[in-house]
Amino acid sequence: MSALLEVSGLSKHFGGLQAVKDVSFAIEAGEIVGILGPNGAGKTTLYNLLTGFIPFDSGSVVFKGRDLRKLSPYRIAGLGISRTFQLCRPFVGMTVFENVIVGGLGASGGGGSALDAHAHALLKQVGLAGKEQLAVETLSYGDQRRLEIARALAAKPALLLLDEPFAGLGSGEIADLSALIRSVHADQGLTVMLIEHKLHEFMRLVDRVIALDFGEIIAEGTPEDIVRHPAVIEAYIGRGDEQAEEQTDVA
Amino acid sequence: MFGKRIDYAGALGFIAFMAALPLVFGGNYLIGVLTVSVIYGIWAVSWDFMSGLTGRENFGHSLFIGVGAYTAGFLNTKFGLSGWWSLPASMLVATLFALIIGLPTLRLKGPYFALAMLSGAVIMQRLMLIFWEQTGGEEGINGIEPLIRSQLGFYYFALAALVLVTALLLALARSHWGLILRAIRGDEATCQAAGINVTFYKIASLVISAAFAGAGGALYAHYQLQVSPQLFAVVTSITIITMVYVGGMASIYGPVGGAILLVLLTELLRNFGEWRLMIYSCTLIMILFFLPNGLIAPTWRRVKARLGRPE
Repeated sequence: MSALLEVSGLSKHFGGLQAVKDVSFAIEAGEIVGILGPNGAGKTTLYNLLTGFIPFDSGSVVFKGRDLRKLSPYRIAGLGISRTFQLCRPFVGMTVFENVIVGGLGASGGGGSALDAHAHALLKQVGLAGKEQLAVETLSYGDQRRLEIARALAAKPALLLLDEPFAGLGSGEIADLSALIRSVHADQGLTVMLIEHKLHEFMRLVDRVIALDFGEIIAEGTPEDIVRHPAVIEAYIGRGDEQAEEQTDVA
Repeated sequence: MFGKRIDYAGALGFIAFMAALPLVFGGNYLIGVLTVSVIYGIWAVSWDFMSGLTGRENFGHSLFIGVGAYTAGFLNTKFGLSGWWSLPASMLVATLFALIIGLPTLRLKGPYFALAMLSGAVIMQRLMLIFWEQTGGEEGINGIEPLIRSQLGFYYFALAALVLVTALLLALARSHWGLILRAIRGDEATCQAAGINVTFYKIASLVISAAFAGAGGALYAHYQLQVSPQLFAVVTSITIITMVYVGGMASIYGPVGGAILLVLLTELLRNFGEWRLMIYSCTLIMILFFLPNGLIAPTWRRVKARLGRPE
């Protein structure tokens, strides 16, 4: 059986900076895979390459047997890859419910009552039931994260890419959100990729970790192996002062 | 549901009011002012559909108005075609211009679209003077035939066109199409991540907006019975944007009220002679300062809320 997503030799440089360098990995359907790495390791750039927001220099990305080279972001989304953004980017000026509907319009084409029902079910699943008619601007940060996930799920993706879903959340909210990610994974057999550097929750959530540093894969394996891997320890402990604050490398 | 019924009642009340005005007061002068206000309504509502909903401001709506009006003028005077050909032809030509400007600039983020529209209108105004042998230069094209002989009849025709265009754009704006346009205003990247072809929706909306602006231009040509390069003037575009702001951006129906209100205000202030522009500007500044969301649409929402709990 071939993998759901196959990335090989993927590279991207911005001027003199090699943001992603010869990255190869494969994701099997039904996995939860974590992307680990310190700031500036190229995690968000990797997502932008996978989803077509930034074109890559060389290498290939194959999703469900289809080459994604030069496809625009909306086409890639239409093929079944949904993503969230590191900074919440809801549709401001619209209600919570409308945000989720728009999330599903690209995939369904038409909308209709099935989409409405799906949106209500998703909002209930992520714990936003009763807040459908609120303006998104009024939601708390944690609720915006939940909404972001509901919006991404509305497109009924085969692969969900989460970009630091726990950033800026308290420990209680992190536990809730992990439970949510686990439940969508379990219910729908959804394949999930997850960028994070809050090690604790992350390590309990994922099946497998791919560790990046300076745009290169430095280690790959189970969470237990990764935390003991010398290259990972060096990348983290060696520059421990830098990892404290995540800056906004916007998509 | 109750809210919707109030909306219909309000719309019917508005149409009845506009239809009754010339019957009650009479006079060709009033009919003329009302006709112009209704045509401005078509321009304002078509501007709002694209720019109000997506937030991509168009500073050269007069480009579409001008090409629509000149199309009507050429077809009617040079080719002797009946005025009824003007409406579809002007929509087609305006659509063409929308594609020429929209295709390269609406893919990009930033101010390129607004600037291209502004320059497009200025360039067309110049071209009308440069090719004066064909376009009549400063004089423009004269001797355009009226669409309907009776002035009152033409006013009712323009009013019907305004009602039709507004109803159509309002229905589109309240459908999933409108939801997507508002989402584009919210965040383009998230739209793309949701599988929405943002460029297509922006260009298609501009085409719809341009087509109705062009048709409005043709109506104007058949009302004035002449066209001039002044139609492309930047001040026309700015006036339309002001009408949309006064009406309430992105509400679609608000700009119709804004257009009619401002045209009537301009006429009412004629008695003030040279003070007119100053009073007009001060009134506008007051409205925009105290009511940043506009006057017409927010007022209507408040009326609705008082009449009964909306939906």
